[in-house]
Amino acid sequence: MMSGKHSNQLRQTTMFWQLVFIKVRLNLRSEASQSYLSYAWWLLEPLLQMGVYYIVFDILLHRGTEDFVAFLLCGIVPWLWFSKSVTQAGNSIIAGRGLISQTYLPKPFFPLVAIGQAFVKQLSVFVLLFVFLFAYGYMPEPGWLWLIPIILTQMLLTVAVAFVVSFVIPFARDLQYLVDAALKMLMFGSGIFYSYKDVFIPEHRDYFLMNPMANLIVNYRRVLMEDVAPFTGALALISLVSILVILLMTYLMRRQNNTLTRLALE
Amino acid sequence: MNQPLISLNNVGFTYRTLTGIMKVEKFQALKSINLDIKPSETLGVIGANGSGKSTLLKILARIYDPDEGSISFSAKKISLLSLSLGFDPRLSGIDNVILSSMLLGASLKQAQQRVDEVLEFSELEKFAKQPVRTYSSGMSARLGFAVALKMQTDVLLIDEALAVGDARFKLKSERAIIEKMSSSQTVVLVSHSAAQINRLCDRAVWIDNGEIVLEGDTELVARKYAEACA
Repeated sequence: MMSGKHSNQLRQTTMFWQLVFIKVRLNLRSEASQSYLSYAWWLLEPLLQMGVYYIVFDILLHRGTEDFVAFLLCGIVPWLWFSKSVTQAGNSIIAGRGLISQTYLPKPFFPLVAIGQAFVKQLSVFVLLFVFLFAYGYMPEPGWLWLIPIILTQMLLTVAVAFVVSFVIPFARDLQYLVDAALKMLMFGSGIFYSYKDVFIPEHRDYFLMNPMANLIVNYRRVLMEDVAPFTGALALISLVSILVILLMTYLMRRQNNTLTRLALE
Repeated sequence: MNQPLISLNNVGFTYRTLTGIMKVEKFQALKSINLDIKPSETLGVIGANGSGKSTLLKILARIYDPDEGSISFSAKKISLLSLSLGFDPRLSGIDNVILSSMLLGASLKQAQQRVDEVLEFSELEKFAKQPVRTYSSGMSARLGFAVALKMQTDVLLIDEALAVGDARFKLKSERAIIEKMSSSQTVVLVSHSAAQINRLCDRAVWIDNGEIVLEGDTELVARKYAEACA
């Protein structure tokens, strides 16, 4: 009896993840089919963006130190990944109402697809970031392997925040505006354009580092630019809290599945 | 073995619509429905537009939970047949078959194995790699129908639209679905046509204003319903 129930559950879980992966793959394919250069845009779009920063800050403004563009890119690349994922996943349950009205799907499906789609594209952005850094004279070191736990931590944080936002927005769609404003504020509070050591007195730095995105960005720079290990304790703490939030939100989405369906369809 | 696959016990369902600031309009779509879906039967649900038939189907499909009463499932897989579920016009026929099958409850492997059968039935092998946006509406409907027809599921829920495409394909698709119904497949068919229900179903339920008016022998229910409509 029990094993039958368990194997059924395992089957359901496998099918759920298969569907998430297929949907991510097909959405990306569908998106690429819209333009002449299709998948090339995965590289071209960030290349254009990074090119703009290079032109503005290095050529036109000659802003500050020589490595300012590298410094900026190490901040803006992870930040854009986070904010794009949260924005797209946040609205995903409402945007999925066509499917919700016709078939039963566990609600985490919708934010997970949005996050998956953003993540695949982000991988090519990271590759481009490494090329840029290389061009600026930062040689790849074995220490760059620290990026793996940093990226994983950011992934967990992204899923946690996206789950919360996508769960809350159907209850009051007005919150979408607040989320956008909060992301803008968080952007300026995450030390993308400045080094926290220049801006905050030592007693205040710990508060700054309690912002998980600020902390992650500092860690990206430590590994890529300063050749030192990241704050592993902070990474572990961010991951742990994120996992707890993900578990809680998964539970809430299951509990409130019917409410979410009705809110999305009404 | 004769345990019902789905059992509804005093089920009620109310739609709530936000009509202004803090103002909610309520509409009770179903009231104290008692109904069992038995293995391998074809159950017809008949009623006028807005009688609650489609809401009932959505509760059977687990899209909505009832507000009142309870529902118990012993069927593992229940699929609401909706044509072209999740179709993305920018993707090829093959990609859409896989996606749509999986959304209806197939595993990746089952979906991939079924692609050839689906393309063959829909007679679209030659267009399999073309994006669906290049299809005519009839071709797209044929593909959607074939996906649903080839689904393997414990309970198949059908909301109207049994036949699609041109006259020849309509005949073919209707014949295929009748064949599927008369096999051991459990089917719940919703329709507003007494004739259709009478032709296809073993048992019928007539719903009006969210309540069961009559339940039982197809011929009797269909006749009473037709009389009430006249």
